[in-house]
Amino acid sequence: METVAPFNEIVDEIKAAGGEIFKMCFQCGLCDSVCPWNRVRPFSMRKLIREAAFGLTDVEGEELWLCTTCGNCALQCPRQVKQIDISVSLRRIATEYQVFPTSVKPVRTMSGSLVGEGNPLNEARGKRGDWAKEYGVKPFSEDMEILYFVGCYLSYDARLKKVAAATAEVLKKAGVNFGILGEKENCCGESIRKAGDESVFKRLATDNIKTFIDNGVKKILVSSPHCYHTLKNEYPEFMVHFEIVHVAQYLAELIAAGRLKVDGELAKKVTYHDPCYLGRHNDIFDEPREVLGKVGKLELVEMADSRKKSLCCGGGGGRIWMETANSERFSNLRLEQAREVGAEILVTACPYCITNFEESRLNLELGEVLEIKDISEIINDAVK
Amino acid sequence: MKEDKCDICRGVCQADAIDFRQTPKKRDINVGAVILAVGIEPFDPKTKDEYGYGRMENVVTSMDYERLLSSTGPFAGEVLRLSDKKHPKKIAWIQCVGSRRLTEGENSYCSGVCCTYTQKQVILTKGHDADVDCTIFHNDIRAFGKDFERYFQRAEELPGTRFIRSYVAIDRELPESKNVVIKYATNDAGVKEEEFDLVVLSVGLNPPENFRELADKFGIDLNHHGFSRAIHSNPIATNQPGIFVSGAFQGPTDIPESVFTASGAGAQCGELLDYRRGKLANERVYPEERDVSFEEPRIGVFVCHCGANISSVVNVPATVEYALTLPNVVYAQEQLFSCATNSAQQITDLAKEKGLNRIVIAACSPRTLEPLFRDTLREAGLNQYYCDMANIREHCSWVHTKQKEDATRKAKDIVRMSVARTRYLEPLQEFDLPVNPRALVVGGGIAGMTTALSIAEQGHEVELIEKNNDLGGMARRLHTTIEGMEVQPFLKETIRKVYANPLIHVSHNAKITDVSGFLGNFSATVATEGRVKKIEYGAAVLAIGADEYQPSEYLYGENDKVFTHLEIGEEIAAGNEAVTRADSLVMIQCVGCRNEERNYCSRVCCSHAVKNALKLKANKPEMEIYILFRDMRTYGLREDYYRDAAEMGVKFIRFEMDDQPQVEAVKAGGKDILRVSVPDLILGKRLELDADIVSLAAAVVPAAATAEIAGMFKVALSPDEFFKEAHVKLKPVEFAADGVYLCGTAHYPKHIQETINQAYGAAGRVLTLLSQDTVTASGSICEVHEDDCVSCGACITACSYDAIEFKQTDKGRKAWVNPVLCKGDGLCNAKCPTNAIVLKHFTDAELLSQIDAA
Amino acid sequence: MENEVLPVDKIQQLCQGGSGVSDFGDVLVVGGGVSGIQASLDLATAGFKVYLVETGPSIGGNMAKLDKTFPTNDCSM
Ligand SMILES: Cc1cc2nc3c(=O)[nH]c(=O)nc-3n(C[C@H](O)[C@H](O)[C@H](O)COP(=O)(O)OP(=O)(O)OC[C@H]3O[C@@H](n4cnc5c(N)ncnc54)[C@H](O)[C@@H]3O)c2cc1C
Ligand code: SF4
Ligand code: SF4
Ligand code: SF4
Ligand code: SF4
Repeated sequence: METVAPFNEIVDEIKAAGGEIFKMCFQCGLCDSVCPWNRVRPFSMRKLIREAAFGLTDVEGEELWLCTTCGNCALQCPRQVKQIDISVSLRRIATEYQVFPTSVKPVRTMSGSLVGEGNPLNEARGKRGDWAKEYGVKPFSEDMEILYFVGCYLSYDARLKKVAAATAEVLKKAGVNFGILGEKENCCGESIRKAGDESVFKRLATDNIKTFIDNGVKKILVSSPHCYHTLKNEYPEFMVHFEIVHVAQYLAELIAAGRLKVDGELAKKVTYHDPCYLGRHNDIFDEPREVLGKVGKLELVEMADSRKKSLCCGGGGGRIWMETANSERFSNLRLEQAREVGAEILVTACPYCITNFEESRLNLELGEVLEIKDISEIINDAVK
Repeated sequence: MKEDKCDICRGVCQADAIDFRQTPKKRDINVGAVILAVGIEPFDPKTKDEYGYGRMENVVTSMDYERLLSSTGPFAGEVLRLSDKKHPKKIAWIQCVGSRRLTEGENSYCSGVCCTYTQKQVILTKGHDADVDCTIFHNDIRAFGKDFERYFQRAEELPGTRFIRSYVAIDRELPESKNVVIKYATNDAGVKEEEFDLVVLSVGLNPPENFRELADKFGIDLNHHGFSRAIHSNPIATNQPGIFVSGAFQGPTDIPESVFTASGAGAQCGELLDYRRGKLANERVYPEERDVSFEEPRIGVFVCHCGANISSVVNVPATVEYALTLPNVVYAQEQLFSCATNSAQQITDLAKEKGLNRIVIAACSPRTLEPLFRDTLREAGLNQYYCDMANIREHCSWVHTKQKEDATRKAKDIVRMSVARTRYLEPLQEFDLPVNPRALVVGGGIAGMTTALSIAEQGHEVELIEKNNDLGGMARRLHTTIEGMEVQPFLKETIRKVYANPLIHVSHNAKITDVSGFLGNFSATVATEGRVKKIEYGAAVLAIGADEYQPSEYLYGENDKVFTHLEIGEEIAAGNEAVTRADSLVMIQCVGCRNEERNYCSRVCCSHAVKNALKLKANKPEMEIYILFRDMRTYGLREDYYRDAAEMGVKFIRFEMDDQPQVEAVKAGGKDILRVSVPDLILGKRLELDADIVSLAAAVVPAAATAEIAGMFKVALSPDEFFKEAHVKLKPVEFAADGVYLCGTAHYPKHIQETINQAYGAAGRVLTLLSQDTVTASGSICEVHEDDCVSCGACITACSYDAIEFKQTDKGRKAWVNPVLCKGDGLCNAKCPTNAIVLKHFTDAELLSQIDAA
Repeated sequence: MENEVLPVDKIQQLCQGGSGVSDFGDVLVVGGGVSGIQASLDLATAGFKVYLVETGPSIGGNMAKLDKTFPTNDCSM
């Protein structure tokens, strides 16, 4: 057995980077037991924490990049260790030293693009609002009811632009007076923060906040749970408070207020996937199910792991940008779970989930039998 | 349905125990003191979806499982799965359910009982079916109580038992088999998935549901967990004078502690209300005893079902019928629970109605219930020795569960033998002996002083014997408790009260040289400060405490930087800067115990380590403190301090027995340091820690005089050589020798508050004796037929209680039995060459007739 | 429920009434688990009149629900 001495300088660095909560861990192993990684390959959050406690972290290694920040362990940890904070603190140190293992290398490109263009996808800032043109979506102005904060993937990604379109359409059908910020909108910064680049996050967040204030924004609608989480729970670190609403909640609100009449039908077996950042992180479990329940003939079934126990798609914590071997993708397992309950449509409410699921659908050759949809697409189709 | 009740149960219940017409009646009662013994509520795992309870059929709580194991449970003692009524072959226990968790709805404290009750369930499960595979998932085994370590080993060593260190995810139920899949973490092989037939949740203890309401009603303060807020110097007391708490309402505790805190609360009521003792209580009045010695035996036989304990194996009606065929049996019937109050009443009534003059109870062991049935006979106006118990439970139904017919035959045999003996039973008289109201307390530590004070407060004189110059004992070396009590002021005050109490007489530098006498009438010879005192007393409490082990491990005694925890505590209090300003300090736990030589846990040292660490950190937050432990045994509410220490940055490193830490004195960076190396199981690496100071959790060992004192007072020692109580649960503060009691660390290592609890408990039990003017001695004792005695003395050597001596009689020197000392074990009978000495109630005639009937 | 202890002379006066007065006792024990039962038995033996109250329909508390109890594994009834 190798003999090592604790490395207190590293311990201090981890503390400074916000990971001091490692000290509470009493090694019960529950985090490992519930972690989705251990369904596809061994990964020990407990060990990562133990190494941090003695300053023995392998800063150049891959382990500290694995956590998808799904929040499963944090929810159950008996000592309330915030595992995500620890992961993030370690990534901050790796980012500071600029050491990235191969699978994480893309993050560097992403952060360059974020700084330059306000999105991680290497797309031009000027094109951010292009998708909206054909739907006649207006730029936001102060007199409007709500700002639709579209997010990067919905603005640029071919598949997800359809979700943006569906959202815009359904809002119109409900008579909502809304607008977008177009090229003035920046990435919310959630994922780059989890990937350890605090300075890029701060830059994006302050830019966004400034834009919100300059444009007199009060209420913000988002399509991504990641935007939701960071705008709602993290932007207040900058001493600002906006009212944030996720599209699943907003649809429920519009239906309840009688502004939206779900009169269509969809005679299909549908299952709903709780995105980590909507469900576990923000306790929104009922509204999406409620909304889907309004669609005539729609049969809603639950997968093996649902609600609080929902199986992560693998896209959180910046993992959406990193390389994951096909055999290690949680999204593959999730699609199998959907198939097991006989679902024909897998509905969710997160752009990362949709991206990962669509990819798995191709890989698993489920194109014929399983569709992947955003909740706004389902509702838009069900409203005349 | 009548009155909205379906009423089926009333028809079914054989005990007629159901009466819907009972309605709550409100009664105002005026009392002088109140004891709150409202106990605990098992944690309800339904509130946490993760546990799958209520969702998966084969996930049960430990409380449910107790019922499954019980012969009065849902399947009459068979462990069956709810889903398919099959015997589970693979069972998992999940520890700390509802305990030691900060997650919402669960408790942050350790419930203290679930580790050990789980081991009990494993042992019982294996007793039901040795092939069941038992797996226990835990994070620490908290075997901190007396004999718990051995108990744990007993469970662990059963083949097919695994103790795995990991909390688990109860992942899913398999649709076909309804088996439950569990995931758990290993140190080196990643996360494993395993299927179990049955999962038992070892649920913790919650405060009683209505605790807030109760606290409001009585005006008592609770801690933030909802238990009574302990007053450090007296956990039985509350902020309201006259209101006391006992049992698990003080905080999670096991049965023995619930029992002695009860006696302790009794003692404190006694202190308060001594002036009115005996004024309100009614004396029991028995009908006059009928002389039936000239009558032909008319025997009544009562055969007990014991719920289903007996009747599930033995054919009870057939046994009753058979009994009726036996000579002299004039009446026989069955009873559901013969020990129930209404059954006893029935026996009394029938005895009168049918003119019975002897009774056979075919039920359980006479050890626990014989006194009850004897009382029943007295109520019927019969001499109580006309009763015999035929044990058809322990000797029959419990041991022959599988052979029902043979068991019934055996039960009949046992009943026949008992009836045969009963025909010859003779009436015996018990007699009263005066009780000397004075108490002797040996040991002037916290336990001895507390007991002495409580006894004296209840109006009895106390002789307190201390071997040292000063009172105080081990507490003189302790400065705070983990809960924050300042020990020295408390000690000073206690000592002051002892000296100030006119009823307490303290002997210092005292040594007991001889003890003689018997229950209620003892005498001790004490050498004290140059003179010899003879003390007459009615009851003694042995509270001689315990010592600290002197380590030979880890350079102790060779290097002046190695201390024990007790010493470190003293250095901290004295402000020794080498300790309080150290940069780095390593504590090593379990030194000198939990090993082959001392196979027990010293119980206090884990909390002691945490307490010292918290103190040191408060002084110098940047000090590196490492605690090297095997299991952290901060049981009960102490778990909160363990967590606080982690919060303060104390690092805890677990090690196993087969790879213990090593300490080496080295020079590093120009200074002398101690290099401690220890493997870390999670890292899979050996950690090397440089320490300025090393502190050892030296074991608590029995006081040097324990064996000698035990010899003089004729009391027994446990395997670990602490004093052995008469019965762990029923008599936790008394010895098997009547009139001698124990408390404090002489019984087993314990914390100050536990010692105080137990000391009051001992006082309470002492008072149940000393408050009587007389005690009753058993009638079943030996007697010498002087004509036959040849004065050989064989009986005197045989007797373990020194109950026989020679006495000069007009027939010469003859053996004489002191009726108070005789325990009726009959050893002497076997030795007497002329059968001159006989044990009454077990005479040759009685026994031979029983044997002949076999 | 009275929270303070009754004055001594008052209690003595009540005690003079003798055991005929049924609603006066020495000690009220709340809770009929093993601890409550033990306390009641001890007090009664030591010469006090005890009222034992229990919310449930039977006494025994949690212990009565156990099969056998550690560490001796004897029956808990
Ligand atoms: C599954 C399990 C297994 C266990 N196994 C063991 C074991 O093997 N060995 C062991 O030593 N310990 C064991 N324990 C612990 C043991 O049960 C407790 O230590 C013990 O029963 C506590 O006794 P108590 O009298 O203090 O409390 P309880 O038994 O809880 O009794 C309190 C009583 O007070 C009553 N009460 C509550 N509020 C009021 C009120 N307001 N008015 C009137 N009455 C009230 C309650 O109904 C209850 O009857 C086990 C516990 C559990 C949960
Ligand atoms: S669940 Fe929490 S306490 Fe347990 S090992 Fe993981 S981080 Fe540590
Ligand atoms: S947050 Fe999710 S992915 Fe990360 S360690 Fe915890 S369980 Fe695993
Ligand atoms: S550690 Fe404490 S709470 Fe956990 S099972 Fe053992 S006794 Fe119960
Ligand atoms: S250090 Fe003491 S209390 Fe802790 S486990 Fe060892 S012997 Fe028991």
